[in-house]
Amino acid sequence: MSNSVLDIDTAIKLKGFSFRAASKVSGYKSGIHKSYYTGISPDFSEHKQYNKGDELKQIDWRLYGRHDRLYVKKFEDEVNMRWCILIDKSLSMDYGDKSYNKFEYAKRLAATLSYLLLKQGDSVGIIGFSESGIDIVPPRSGSSFITPIVDKLNQLKPEGTTALEEPIIKALEVYRSDAAFVIVSDFWLEAEAIERTIKLARNSKKDISLFHVLHPDETDFKFKGSIEFEDLETNTKVIVDTDSLRHTYIKRIGEFIARLKDICHENETNYVLSPTNESIEKPLIQIADK
Amino acid sequence: MFFIGLAALALPIIAHLISRKSGVKLSFPAVSFLVSSQGDLSSRSRIKDIIFLILRALILVFIVLIFAKPAVFSFSEKVDNTPKSIAIVIDNSFSMGYENNFGKAKKKAHDIIDAIADGSFSFVAPLVKTNEKQLDVIQDKSRLRGALQNIKLSNGFSDNERRLQDIYSKLLKTPNQIKRVVFITDLQKNGWKDEKFDPPWLDVIDISQTSETANHAVADVDLRYEENSTTIKAQVSNYSSDSLSGLITTFSFDEKEIREGIDVEPHGSSSLGVSFESGDLVVSHGTVSTTHDKLKIDDIRYFISDGPDSNSKILIVDGDPREDSRLSESYYLAQALETISEISGTQVTILDNDAFLREDLSNFEVIYLANVGELTPRITKQLEVFIEKGGSAVIFLGNSTRASSYNVLLKNILPGEIIGIAEGSTSITAVDNSGWFSKEIADKMAQVKIEKRYNIRPHPGSEAIINTSGDSPLLIGKQKGNGNVYLFTSTADNSWNNFSITPVFLPIIKRINDSPISGRNKSRQYLVNQSVEIETAEDAKSIVVVDPQGEKYEIDRGNNEFRQTRVPGIYTVESDGEYSYIFAVNIDSSESNLEKLPDSSFGKQPDQKTSLVKVFKEVWSYFLWGVIALFVSESVFRAIFS
Repeated sequence: MSNSVLDIDTAIKLKGFSFRAASKVSGYKSGIHKSYYTGISPDFSEHKQYNKGDELKQIDWRLYGRHDRLYVKKFEDEVNMRWCILIDKSLSMDYGDKSYNKFEYAKRLAATLSYLLLKQGDSVGIIGFSESGIDIVPPRSGSSFITPIVDKLNQLKPEGTTALEEPIIKALEVYRSDAAFVIVSDFWLEAEAIERTIKLARNSKKDISLFHVLHPDETDFKFKGSIEFEDLETNTKVIVDTDSLRHTYIKRIGEFIARLKDICHENETNYVLSPTNESIEKPLIQIADK
Repeated sequence: MFFIGLAALALPIIAHLISRKSGVKLSFPAVSFLVSSQGDLSSRSRIKDIIFLILRALILVFIVLIFAKPAVFSFSEKVDNTPKSIAIVIDNSFSMGYENNFGKAKKKAHDIIDAIADGSFSFVAPLVKTNEKQLDVIQDKSRLRGALQNIKLSNGFSDNERRLQDIYSKLLKTPNQIKRVVFITDLQKNGWKDEKFDPPWLDVIDISQTSETANHAVADVDLRYEENSTTIKAQVSNYSSDSLSGLITTFSFDEKEIREGIDVEPHGSSSLGVSFESGDLVVSHGTVSTTHDKLKIDDIRYFISDGPDSNSKILIVDGDPREDSRLSESYYLAQALETISEISGTQVTILDNDAFLREDLSNFEVIYLANVGELTPRITKQLEVFIEKGGSAVIFLGNSTRASSYNVLLKNILPGEIIGIAEGSTSITAVDNSGWFSKEIADKMAQVKIEKRYNIRPHPGSEAIINTSGDSPLLIGKQKGNGNVYLFTSTADNSWNNFSITPVFLPIIKRINDSPISGRNKSRQYLVNQSVEIETAEDAKSIVVVDPQGEKYEIDRGNNEFRQTRVPGIYTVESDGEYSYIFAVNIDSSESNLEKLPDSSFGKQPDQKTSLVKVFKEVWSYFLWGVIALFVSESVFRAIFS
C-alpha cells in the first residue's frame, strides 16, 4: 500500500475529533452516531411512564421518589455511520502544480477523512466520479480498510468532464440506508445541477457535506497580460486580457460560491471551501465534532 | 524615408493582430467562467482596442511625417520685385465675348496689376482700339485698375501683330530695363497674320478653357430684286466639328418674318434664300438671324435694301459680234457675268459698237469694252464722266482696236499708252503687291498662255496687276476720280489667248465688277469700325448720324467721315433734322471662326507663361503637435478604460 495520499500529520492532529453526521442515522452497530433507536447509548434521551415489559434497571428511582410514579429512562442509541466519500476525478481537478494540485488535494482529503472515520468505527466507501466513469469502493469498516481505500485513491486518474448527478444516483443505489455523503469536487457545474443533485440526495435522507476544492488561481485570478486559456475538460480556447477581466471574474466566482453556500444552507448541507493552498486540516475540522 | 515610414504603419496593426493571438497559453479549469465574464467586457474591449489601434497608428504616421518634413504647395502668381515696364493688353475682339472669356481676361489682368512690383511703369490697353482715351504709361495701380474697368468688348478686331508692336513701342520710352507686353487672349487664329509671331518681349496668357470653340454665324447676306419680289440669300457658316441640323434662321424684312431651318456641315457654309413680295418701300432694312450660340453677336446680320433699281448694271460692248454668240468677242465675258449675276443680282446689257455710241452710260456701273473699234468724242466724254463718278471701265483690246484713236480719244482714261502689237507665246504672273489675288489664283495663272497682245507704256499713277513673263503689263489699272479704269492688253475671247477659259478669268472679272460697288458703297453695307463717308446735300447745315443705340453724332462738314461704327446695326443719317438715308454696319464674319492658334505658335506653351509658381509651405510642426495631442489622448483613454 502506498500512503502518499494519506496526510498522517493531519490525521494525528485530528485524532481527538469525531466526525458526525449532521442528522440522525439508522446504524446497526454501536457507535458515536445517535440512532433513531434508543438503547444502550449512555446519552439520556427522555423519560416515559413505565409499562409492563420495560426493563426494571431502566426505572428512574429518584424520579419515583419525588413523583411516586414509575418512569423509565430512555437512552439514545449510538450507531456506527456509513460514509460515502465521492471524489471528483474529472480533468478540471487536475490543475495546479504538485503541492497545490486540486486532484492530489482532494485525494489527500478523502484518504485522511477515511482514515479518521474508520478509526472512529464508521464504515467508509469511496466513489471516484466523472462523466467518463465511476470507480466504487464499497463501504466497509475497520481500520485495516484504509489500505484498499488508499490503494483505490492512488489508482484514480483524472479523466472526463464533471458529472455529479449520475454518481449520486449510483451512490444512492449502493447506500440504500442512511449514510453520509462527502463530495469533494471543484463543482464546475451549473449551480442548478448541483442543487438538483443535493436535493436528490437529501430526499433520500442522506447527510451531505461538500468540500469545494479550488486552486488559488481560480479564486484570485492573479494572471498578467493577455493569455490564451484552454479548458481542461472541453479544450475550449479563449484569449483573455487578464488585467481587464480580473475584476469581473473574481466577482462572478464570488457570486458562484455564495450561490453554492445558499443552496447548501437551504438543504441542510455542509459547505466547506477548500483552497488547495491551505492544509486539509482546516476544511476537515469544519465538519468535525468539536 | 517617407515610404519606409509608411511601412512602419503596419507595426501597430500587426501588434494589434498579434495581441489578439496571445503568446501565453494556459490550461484552465474555469474557462466557461472566463467566457461568460468576457462576454460582459468584449464589446467594450473591442472599442477600446480599435481606439488604441487608431491612436497608435496615427502617432506613427505623424512621427513619420515629422521626419519626412512634408510641404504643401499652392499655385500663386510669381512674385518678382524687380521694377519693370509692363503693358497689359486685353483682347477685346468680339470673339472674346464667347462665354465669359472677356470677364476672365479682365480678372486675370486685375491679378497681374496686383502683382506688379513697386517702381514699375505700366499701362493697360485693349487689343482693338476703341474711342475711349488710351492710358499713358503710369505707376499708379488704382488708375490702371480704372483703365482696365473701362475697357469694353469691341465688335471689331485688329491686326494683332501691328497693335502689339505699337503697344510695345510705348514701353520703350520707360526707364526700366525689363519691358514686357502681357497679352491676355483667347488665342483665336483670326487677327494673326503670322502664326509664329513670338517676339521676346511678349507674354501670352490663354484665357479660354477649351481648344474647341463651337460657333456659327450669319456670314453674309445678299439681296436680289425681281419684278415683284426681293430674294434674300443668307450664308450661314458653321465653325465647329459638329454639323448643324435644322438651325432656325429668321429673315426679317419689310415688317415680315420668315423662318427656315438650315443644315450646315462641320467647318462649312450653307446658303438659304427666301423671297419677300415687294412692298411699297423703296429703301428698307432687315435682318437675318439664327438661334443663339455662345457667341451671340455674329448670329445676326443687318442689311439695307435699296430696291430693284439698286441692282448692278453692267454694259458689255462687243466690238466683234457674231450670229453665233459663241464666236462673239463678248461670249466669255457674258458667261462670266451671268455666273456672277446669279450670286449678286447684276443686270447685264450687251451692245454692239454702233449701239454703244448712242447709249447713255450713266445708267451703268461697269462697262466692258471688248475689242471696240470705233469711238466718238461724245462717247469718250461720257465714259470719262462715268468713271469720274465712280464707274468702272474695263477695256479689252483686239484686232479691231485702233491704237492711235484710243491713245487720243481715251487719253484721259487709259492707264497707259498703247504702243503696238507683240506676238509670241508668253505666260503671266500676278504682281505681288497688287493685293488682288489669293495665292491659289496666282498659282493658277501658270495655266494662262498669251499668244498676242499690245505693248503698253504705263502712265504715271497706273498700277500693273498682271504682267507677262517679260514684265510687260497684261492687266493694268488706274484710279480716276471716284472710278477705275482697267486695260487688258489682249482679247476678251480666246483668239489671242486662253485667258477666258482658265480658272483665273472669273475671279478677275468678279474682282473688277466689285470695285465700283465698294467704291460707291451703293448698298450701304459697312463693317464695324469701318470709316463711313456720309453723303449729304451740299447745302445741308447739319448732318447727324444716329447709331443703333440711339446715340447721335454730329458730322463735321469739313470732313464727312463717320468713325463711330462700333456696334452692328442700322445707322440713320439725318440732314438738317430730316431723315436722309440709312446704312448697315455688321461685324466682320471672319472673326466668327474661333479656331485657336496651335500651341506651338508662341514658342512656349501659353500656360507656361502665366507666371504661376508653386509656393511650398512646410507643415511638419503641425504633426509634432498632433503627436503630442495623440499621446495625451491615449493617456486619457487608458484612464477611462482602466
